[in-house]
Amino acid sequence: MSWETVIGLEIHAQLSTKSKLFSGGSTEFGAESNTHVDLVDMGLPGVLPVVNKEAFYKAIRFGLATGAEINQVSSFDRKNYFYPDLPKGYQITQMTKPIVEKGSIKVLTDEGEKLINITRAHLEEDAGKSIHDLFEGETGVDLNRAGTPLLEIVSEPEISSAKEAVAYFKAIRQLVTFLDICDGNMAQGSMRCDVNVSIKKSGDKELGTRAELKNINSFKFIEKAINYEIERQIRVIENGESVIQETRLYDSDKNETRSMRSKEEANDYRYFPCPDLLPVVISDKELQEIRDNLPELPEEKESRYVSEIGLEESEAKIISSSKAMANMFEEASSKTDDIKLVAKWLVGDISALLNKYNIEIDESNLSPENFGKLIERISDNTISGKIAKSVLEEVWDNGSDVDEIIQTKGLVQIQDESLLEDIARKVIDSNSDQVAAYRSGKDKLFGFFVGQVMKETQGKANPKSVNEILKKLLK
Amino acid sequence: MDKKTVTTISYLSRLKIDSEKEQKIVKDLDNIIKFVDQLNDVDTSSIEPLTNPLEKTAKTRKDEVTAKNLKKELLEVAPSANEDYFLVPRVVE
Repeated sequence: MSWETVIGLEIHAQLSTKSKLFSGGSTEFGAESNTHVDLVDMGLPGVLPVVNKEAFYKAIRFGLATGAEINQVSSFDRKNYFYPDLPKGYQITQMTKPIVEKGSIKVLTDEGEKLINITRAHLEEDAGKSIHDLFEGETGVDLNRAGTPLLEIVSEPEISSAKEAVAYFKAIRQLVTFLDICDGNMAQGSMRCDVNVSIKKSGDKELGTRAELKNINSFKFIEKAINYEIERQIRVIENGESVIQETRLYDSDKNETRSMRSKEEANDYRYFPCPDLLPVVISDKELQEIRDNLPELPEEKESRYVSEIGLEESEAKIISSSKAMANMFEEASSKTDDIKLVAKWLVGDISALLNKYNIEIDESNLSPENFGKLIERISDNTISGKIAKSVLEEVWDNGSDVDEIIQTKGLVQIQDESLLEDIARKVIDSNSDQVAAYRSGKDKLFGFFVGQVMKETQGKANPKSVNEILKKLLK
Repeated sequence: MDKKTVTTISYLSRLKIDSEKEQKIVKDLDNIIKFVDQLNDVDTSSIEPLTNPLEKTAKTRKDEVTAKNLKKELLEVAPSANEDYFLVPRVVE
């Protein structure tokens, strides 16, 4: 029997505000435990939450960029549950009137472009952090994160494979980073996701019972967890049993999902309107201002790179694939006239290095200034492309200045034609067999002579001059 | 309202109910709900739900860090803490 997979994602994106959603506590990551905790974050009696307007502005940016409806009047509700890292005993969230509804995003899949609808995106506060393994018989609680603004982005159940789920997540991550509303840092937990997975017989209208996979924070694990879960559900149904609606935890060490039923016991969040908070109103003027100041989006950048700068479409796609990459391109381009060469190096050697070390470009030692300088030295013929590769490697290792590397290592390209001619003659004189073979028609040997000259000059000869000189001498 | 519902609610709200009072609470809650249920007789289909009786809208604040580091003071008033964390009985996942 063949099965169809139905997947919906709930992505939590931490909004990059300075302060928390309802207090003046700092949202800085990695601070000493419990130093960014305001009385409101503590849930002490007698305090009242006050809304951080910037969180709304950022959420609205996301709404506008996904063509969604913006609820200019939105409100907050309480979601009630007990857990030590939730001091108030409830989470403030937007249940009935979320700020953003009915958007969509284009996702690139193996079968081409697909539009995934976004049901809603609402604001809510994050919880603190529980530390279970540090203390004997006790759990430690750090409330630094409590109250940090999150945008929960809920997709329609329209995703049909693990790969597509990853593509959707990547598209959302790309968008929120371009919009400058979330840093997209998954290792620091700035983006996490819950995945709803169900299966149904091919062609069935009705959805199957879903399982929810909690808190997955890497692309790799999203794909693995979903694939495991699909197989598990097929196994369950083909054994004549039925899938239970439950929350499951993905264990990346064992590559399996496990029931968390213990925590699900009598799970009833008893949502009700938060009496501490009045409805938040966004004026037409505010909305217009946000619309007018929306940053350039990946698709817009891509087409501008092609139409205005003349990049190849494939280059434009790679460069606009992440905010960091686009920034590097635009900043380095301002340092040199040879913008196409900037693009060529970015999608070529630099992308290869990024893949090799599996990092983002803003995590590398390469600064836009230094990169621009490298391109400038290639295009003004100070160094050859080949030497530039070794310079890039050194910059990659320790971030040294390009000009300093060229100076101290004596890498300046040999432009002196008479010197190159002398070297070429020497190569020809000492390889008479190859010369004879070349002259009798073995054209491929030309590369051998070029290689020999390069070897003699430690790669510093200008390849164009070498070609011309050798052609002349070997005639 | 029955005994089972009361048990569930008491679990969710972490409020312990003495078994001898259980029957009385079932009856009390039942009466309260019946009383409030009268509201269902009113047709509200054309009325926007009221989220707050004040009929005002929220004051908001600018995105500024105003909180001081209160770590020492906050940990001191907690029922249990060490110098870095609030401590609670172990929560096993």
